[in-house]
Amino acid sequence: MEDFKILQLLDKSRFLYNKIGIDYGLMRKILQVKLTMDEHRVPTFYNQSAGKKNEDQKYGYIKSLWFYVLISLIFIPFMGFGENYLFQISITYAVLIFMIMTTMISDFSTVLLDVRDKSILSTKPIDPRTVNAAKFMHILIYLTYLTIALTAIPLVVGLFRQGILFFLITIVELILINIFIVVLTALLYIAILRFFDGEKLKDAINYVQIGLSLFLMVGYQVLIRSFELVDFTMAVELHWWSIFLIPMWFAAPYELLLNGDGALFTIIFSMLAITMPIISIWLYIKLIPTFERNLQKLLSTSKSKREKRSHLKEMLLSLICRTSEERAFYRFSSLMMKQERDFKLKVYPSLGFAFIAPFIFIFNSMRIDKIDFSVSMGYINIYFSMLIIPTAVLMLSHSAKYKAAWIYQVFPLTDYTDLKKGSLKAFLLKLYIPLYVVLSIVFYFMYGTRILPDLAVVLFASCLYTIICYIGFGSNVPFTKPNNEIGDAQSWKIFIFMIIAAIMAGIHYFMASKITYGSIIYLVVLAILNFVVWKIAFRGGKK
Amino acid sequence: MNEQEVLMIANLTKSYGNKEILKGVNLSVTRGEIIGYIGPNGAGKSTTIKIILGMEGDYGGEVRLFGENIEQDSIEYKRRIGYVPEIADVYDNLTGYEYLTFIGQLYGLNLDIAANKSQALMELFGVGEAYHARISSYSKGMRQKLLIISSLLHNPDILFLDEPINGLDANSVMIFKEILAQLAAQGKTIFYSSHLMDVVEKISSRIILLHDGKVAADGTFEQLQAASTGGTLEAIFNQLTDFHNYKEIGEQFVAVVQEV
Repeated sequence: MEDFKILQLLDKSRFLYNKIGIDYGLMRKILQVKLTMDEHRVPTFYNQSAGKKNEDQKYGYIKSLWFYVLISLIFIPFMGFGENYLFQISITYAVLIFMIMTTMISDFSTVLLDVRDKSILSTKPIDPRTVNAAKFMHILIYLTYLTIALTAIPLVVGLFRQGILFFLITIVELILINIFIVVLTALLYIAILRFFDGEKLKDAINYVQIGLSLFLMVGYQVLIRSFELVDFTMAVELHWWSIFLIPMWFAAPYELLLNGDGALFTIIFSMLAITMPIISIWLYIKLIPTFERNLQKLLSTSKSKREKRSHLKEMLLSLICRTSEERAFYRFSSLMMKQERDFKLKVYPSLGFAFIAPFIFIFNSMRIDKIDFSVSMGYINIYFSMLIIPTAVLMLSHSAKYKAAWIYQVFPLTDYTDLKKGSLKAFLLKLYIPLYVVLSIVFYFMYGTRILPDLAVVLFASCLYTIICYIGFGSNVPFTKPNNEIGDAQSWKIFIFMIIAAIMAGIHYFMASKITYGSIIYLVVLAILNFVVWKIAFRGGKK
Repeated sequence: MNEQEVLMIANLTKSYGNKEILKGVNLSVTRGEIIGYIGPNGAGKSTTIKIILGMEGDYGGEVRLFGENIEQDSIEYKRRIGYVPEIADVYDNLTGYEYLTFIGQLYGLNLDIAANKSQALMELFGVGEAYHARISSYSKGMRQKLLIISSLLHNPDILFLDEPINGLDANSVMIFKEILAQLAAQGKTIFYSSHLMDVVEKISSRIILLHDGKVAADGTFEQLQAASTGGTLEAIFNQLTDFHNYKEIGEQFVAVVQEV
């Protein structure tokens, strides 16, 4: 097993642990095993780019940090310039705390919630305090990496522009913030586990992961524009209710020490910045036994919930799916899309992005010149929402539970076309059409009634595009392939499919702008093509 | 051909690469039999079952189920089979209700019938309260019960069970044994594969022992007893699979444990 540099660094503070009664040698061994295991894991952010082969996993986490270094550039103006600390530093810490907290939840919840620890480590002659210290240090090591990535460059700029005191305050506060975040997350979990069961907690974590991925996708777009929005002269005053704004606590010491602002609120907030992390860690140590007890909930059966079935839905469904096998698979696929956390993590952020993308491009062109919405062709941007289709269709044939597909071989199924059709229809109706409908309504109000035929064209184009993507990815039986089989080849295909979408949009643009009734003609052509291609794709026959 | 014959396997061979797993298995099973299908690890038990279920192709010999060669009609016969695999992955992000109705529908049951049936069976098996909970939160025994129910939803004529009572408590095992006896009395055929010799000894009407890719013994427990010197099925098993040195291995094992 490899000896990690960070552990050798940690060795220097060995006496500290021994002093508070923690067996440092044992803790170090536990940490070493955990860090080794982590090298086989890939962080959320990497899951996003579906192509990565996992051969070069070593230091995978460290590599992913480059992305955060990029994000850290946003802090430079806030930390490096100006003396309106309360405002600048509050903003900086608000973003920083958000980033660290979401990463903590999405990537390190597994560490906090590891129930294996209980069965493996608690049965060995180890003091529980040592186990918990190892857990805490494990997370803290990663958060330290992350914090360094996020603050190193702005901090150096700050050192030169704002002086050594600024630098020192920031270092101390960053340490406090990190401790505070770990404890806060743990307390949050304690609260959730106290009232809900483990499945709810896993769902909550999943949604945070989805949110983080979406934030990173959109944040990248906003980042570029953010510099224009910043107004350094903005005055911020402290009110009694600001006490609930955690980033403000951490901004107050700067005012106090660097600007010499001795107002009552500034002093109170500065005190909070130091005492709260310490109080929280004391509270956490107190609550650890409760936490450990409630962790067992992760292993227990979740509460039963019953879903209502509406007869109207059933009737509509039998119109959409003719055979009962197709209906069964339609239901199954809808449930998988709704409940499989891996699928959600990979597809839902793109779904959110697909919703935002058209607007980003419309606003981009708005900045260049004024748009007259009554004649503009800007609605063509709605094609950007089709970006979701290749990703989702690809993910539809994969599953974390691909081994469960043994049931298909046992079933008396003549061929799999009904299954494939059912799942594609489920994707269109449950994920794509809702997105499309909402976008269409917004576009309808922006551009007026005249674009209704064009919106219809987009719907037909999407259906055609879905089936093209599906054939392109090899017409797999849904949910039967392992997730890690998604390789570079597939990523390239996604890229090619995007070109196809662009061509579809291009034809649409040409038809609508150059030919009278062009949209209507295109609509009819697409309708016929749809009918033909769906028929050909599912002509029956084995597999 | 015998009217009562449900399953007939003639000279079945199967290899993976150079490795021959099945070296000519012959057997015939009639209605209402409970076959205890035993053998050491790697003897080819699961492979035989997978071939019969159509999960493995490319074999030599002939397999006839209900009088039909399974290669002839490779789909319809599956409607009459129920299967509980030893290591069963399930889509465990679904609830019991969602999974079971899905399975039922793919066997051609109507949604309501599948829902009612699976709920009733879950309740009878003492796991009714978990019916609408996610399978990922099930205990091992609950999961096993779910699998057993999913193999029976469509009222199959022949059942292939691979270590079906794994994780079930003693009371549930009693219920399950009773279910098997009742099913057999109604003319269903049960293929029961397990390493628990005492269970196999008690429930089987006939025992087939597979060793080294061939049938090493085939008959009722009494017939097997008569043909060998051992008293229990475990002893017969040891004898037929040529395994005698368990004492020496055990001694050596303990000796290594004591080295510190």
